[in-house]
Amino acid sequence: MDPKELLQGGSLQNPKTATDPKGAMTRIRLDPTRLRALVLLALAPLAPLHAAPTLELAALRGQVVYVDFWASWCVPCRHSFPWMRQMQQAYGANGFAVVTINVDHDRVDAERFLAAYGPGMDVRFDPEGNLAQQYGVQGMPTSFLIDRQGRKRFLHKGFVGSDTPTYEQQIRTLLAEGQPAASPGSTQ
Amino acid sequence: MKNAMKGRRRPWLAAALVAGATTAMTLGGCSSLAGQVGVKPWQRELLSRQDMQLDADPLDAAIDEHMYFSKEASSGGRGFGGGGCGCN
Amino acid sequence: MQLKADHGAIRRQLMLASCSLLGVATARAQQAGDAAAPVDTSEQTFESAISYYHEDGRITAIEPMVSLHSDDGNGTQHTLSAVFDSLSGSSPNGALPSSKPQTFATPSGSSLNSTAQTYTTASGQSTTSVAPTYVVDAGQLPVDPKYQDMRVALSALAQQPLRAFDRWRFGGTLSWEHDFLSLAGNAGYSRDFNEKNTTLSAGLNEEYDLLKPIGGAPVPGSDYSLFQKQGNKNKNGVGLQLGVTQVMTRRWLAEFNVTADRFSGYLNDPYKIVSILDAQGNTTGYVTEKRPGERLRRSAYLENRVAFDRTTVTVAGRYMNDDWGVHSSTLEANLRWWNPDHDRYLQPSVRWYRQSAADFYTPWILASTGNYSTLETADARLGAFHAATFGLKYAIKISRTGSLPGQEPSEFNVRLQVYRQDADQKRANPTALQDIELYPALRAVMLQVGYRFAY
Repeated sequence: MDPKELLQGGSLQNPKTATDPKGAMTRIRLDPTRLRALVLLALAPLAPLHAAPTLELAALRGQVVYVDFWASWCVPCRHSFPWMRQMQQAYGANGFAVVTINVDHDRVDAERFLAAYGPGMDVRFDPEGNLAQQYGVQGMPTSFLIDRQGRKRFLHKGFVGSDTPTYEQQIRTLLAEGQPAASPGSTQ
Repeated sequence: MKNAMKGRRRPWLAAALVAGATTAMTLGGCSSLAGQVGVKPWQRELLSRQDMQLDADPLDAAIDEHMYFSKEASSGGRGFGGGGCGCN
Repeated sequence: MQLKADHGAIRRQLMLASCSLLGVATARAQQAGDAAAPVDTSEQTFESAISYYHEDGRITAIEPMVSLHSDDGNGTQHTLSAVFDSLSGSSPNGALPSSKPQTFATPSGSSLNSTAQTYTTASGQSTTSVAPTYVVDAGQLPVDPKYQDMRVALSALAQQPLRAFDRWRFGGTLSWEHDFLSLAGNAGYSRDFNEKNTTLSAGLNEEYDLLKPIGGAPVPGSDYSLFQKQGNKNKNGVGLQLGVTQVMTRRWLAEFNVTADRFSGYLNDPYKIVSILDAQGNTTGYVTEKRPGERLRRSAYLENRVAFDRTTVTVAGRYMNDDWGVHSSTLEANLRWWNPDHDRYLQPSVRWYRQSAADFYTPWILASTGNYSTLETADARLGAFHAATFGLKYAIKISRTGSLPGQEPSEFNVRLQVYRQDADQKRANPTALQDIELYPALRAVMLQVGYRFAY
């Protein structure tokens, strides 16, 4: 229903040519249907977004989390997955976790990819792209590192194979924080 | 004959205007019209298909180009860059 | 990690082999000690095809080609291609059929006199030879029956990213034939906007061609029987291209570009002549063709690709015009139709083409006009005609053992095309040539077989 109609009680007509004898242009008519519609409109901004997902990372507080947005059609993801698994194996004991978020339209494509590249990985599904939108993903893949206090620290736009030593160094730096007893060299 | 052709509509000018308008529109960036055209980075599953690449079959294109170049007065025209999965 | 380890070893070996082929720096050595070595995200593609082209009663050409492409996974790409071309058959020389037999000299000949000549060499030996000529029967289209040519071309292209949103590329091509050498270089720049939905590109290319016609390049617009030659000639070309690629929707990609190029130098075909006819249509002589020393061309091209679940549609159009009076329109479309398993496809294609004649195109010259050193050409490629191509391509995708999902499988394909060109704006036949077809349609068939694999 056109919002203007609610307030003017009739079709939008030039007041001078209006044929409404009761002068409806100047009167607000609020019958039950119109009232209900008006209330809903007013409250619309407060309603929760349709199935708005949130990234529940509370369970991982205290760990360094690598969050990765990926898709089955993303070519570099075929290389990032084996690397993430390698990191998980190397640093998992030190409190490192990987959370991957899949943005595929079809779940089937994601399953096929996971069967080959990432069995055993933590995967969250975001087919509508709401999480991707929320986290401001600007390219595929996008990943970021969250420290033990839950703050976003490093952002990786894309997966650059030659930068993986840097990525690993970032993980080590974050792992070292909040755990002064553990030496970074212990993983060598 | 040549002069008669010149006096008719100028498709060259129309093409340039369309190109200019498209470019201006899409370069608008934050303008609402340009915001409508295009997809989000995570919506490129179809664009990343191999058969959606502008250079999907380079050898076919090279063979055709050679054939038409040797039989006709026009050649080339294809461009490069753009499309794809947009990764990295 | 068993699967990954085997796969990686094979890939590394193949990559080393291909890198030495490309001359690109070899793979990074595994670093000893702490952090794991950088991840190798590169991929190579090998592509090859061989095509067989046959024109009804005229040229036959065989063209094998190979191309090697490497992509480091982060925007750096290199491509190396090689083509070998072999043509043979008969090629029209531009002259008109006549009601009487005609004699022409082969390109290496310098005389129409076919009687034996005796020559005495410095050492006192005498040899007899006949100046190479060929005779064309009455009513037949004059063609050089022993036309033969071989061509080898090599090209290389490199693309490098500059920042996250732009890249540049440069390349070169070298092409050799026994009577023609071509050298070309190109450079281009692209930049992304709107989250990579829009890409603007600019390209520049430069070409230098050296013509070494057998017997020397003829003086343009001269009497054919005098065989006035000039030796080697050259021509230069420079071109500019501007383009925009735009993602329209999730399934629709559009590309639009404009191109302008300018060639200058010896732009004539050294083997083509124009017939001079008297008022009745009898051939009285020939003149070598003469084209302007410069040509400026402009074209606009639009391509659209739309993806559906099992099909991909491509529609493209091009408009071209130049300062020789030629303008042309091209429309091509193809549809790639996949099977449900997505491992085979059928691709029918169609192309329509129409062009107008160059201002100085003339199938024959009347003797009464007197001066023949004006611009003239009877080369059908500069005449008015319309053409259509119908094609069908069939391909099979083969997944190789050890290849993982997402990796492009190998492809084996075969394509057949038929092409037909029909002249427009035909002049009425002169009286002496009433029953002769002066504008025969050009019919050609092209069969191509190709193979491609990624590793």
